[in-house]
Amino acid sequence: MSAVAPCKLKASDYKSDTKPVWCPGCGDYHVLASLAKSIAALALAPEQIAVVSGIGCSSRIPAYLNCYGFHGVHGRALPLATGLKVARPDLTVICAGGDGDGFSIGGNHLLHACRRNVDITYIVMDNEIYGMTKGQPSPTTAPDWDSSLAPGGTGVSPFHPLVIALASGANFVARSFSGDVNGTAKMLAEAISHPGFSFVQILSPCVTFRPDQREWKNMVHPPPVPFTTDASQAARRVMTDDGFNIGVLYKGSRAKYAQAVAHDDAFEGDFQNEFLV
Amino acid sequence: MSKAGKKSSQNFTRAELLVHAMVIELEAVQSYKELAEQMEQCGNSAVAGLFDKMTKLEAEHAAKIRDTAGDVELPDLAPWEFRWSGLEPPENIDLAGVHYLMTPHQALELALENELSAMAFFEAVAQDSTDDEVCCLAREFAADERQHVAWMKDWIAKYPPPDDDWDYDPDPPAAMA
Repeated sequence: MSAVAPCKLKASDYKSDTKPVWCPGCGDYHVLASLAKSIAALALAPEQIAVVSGIGCSSRIPAYLNCYGFHGVHGRALPLATGLKVARPDLTVICAGGDGDGFSIGGNHLLHACRRNVDITYIVMDNEIYGMTKGQPSPTTAPDWDSSLAPGGTGVSPFHPLVIALASGANFVARSFSGDVNGTAKMLAEAISHPGFSFVQILSPCVTFRPDQREWKNMVHPPPVPFTTDASQAARRVMTDDGFNIGVLYKGSRAKYAQAVAHDDAFEGDFQNEFLV
Repeated sequence: MSKAGKKSSQNFTRAELLVHAMVIELEAVQSYKELAEQMEQCGNSAVAGLFDKMTKLEAEHAAKIRDTAGDVELPDLAPWEFRWSGLEPPENIDLAGVHYLMTPHQALELALENELSAMAFFEAVAQDSTDDEVCCLAREFAADERQHVAWMKDWIAKYPPPDDDWDYDPDPPAAMA
């Protein structure tokens, strides 16, 4: 990675030489393209960006980007990203993962990340399944989805991530579709630029375990109304929509988390010395 | 919101048309290159080879457009500022149509769809343009795409259509078993 920001980079410059191992047709390829396009459009230098993830297919994304990356443990991407942003507020911190990582194992962290409103962007590539572990139902799987691993379906109501995010205090809430690469890039650029905790749910088909999701491209549609600044109104909208409205839903104006204590170089030096071996 | 390449009702300047044409080809290069790598990874060498050839074809086309642009200063547009008729540039492969067991015939059908979309895009620009120079250039680009369409059709004819059980996998992913 270059130590000095060059002149404006192309989206392809933000992709690393590591080749993705996602299945052919996976929506996550498109999300990678959208993210690279968004950070190129924002002209962020690679050394100004850190992408933090948990575990799962989509959580491989930091390896495929030419910027700082941290592939963390399952469900703990948000605490890592929060800690990083608080310690290094100069960085643009983007957190990424899937619906299992973010809504189940890391579900509790989502609530508190929204509540704290630290200035990070959280991207969840939602395919309504645990893909990496061969197709178990996730918190967003429909109750009647029938498979060999959940015969007859789980019978359990799915999680409403956008409503949860709104209720917990996220400052920017949006839903996108991976196949809309340029629309998603625009949305991600907005989310990254918006102060506070931004949450973007991206419907990203898993063509291997959910071939039915190939039809999502024909099901998504723009929202009937523009975004709102009223969280309760946004929550009502998303509770009653069909799950395929894509667009920015809510933009809040809550002050982002600020460090309560001013930065103290002397303290930091002493603190770091304690970890010297 | 599916892919469509039939309408483009706004007037383009020459520089705007050139940057659109250039990005169509550059994104197609990227898209085919990635698909070739994905297919190779899955052991589908026949389709990987075809996507490799498509990568080279599109790269040659991009070079030709670069020559046509010459010294014209192309506008620096954000990805969402391009005026595509669908969600993406017309020659980007629709991932929903990609499968790890797809046959060469199916791969070429996807490529043909892209060439047809690109041709329709340029024809629409030519039709809607009130600038003679832009109209002429758009017709030239549409003619290039028409030639690619003809190549694709010839190419497809060399490969048999897929069997009914083309996606049969004796060792399928767990949830599908």
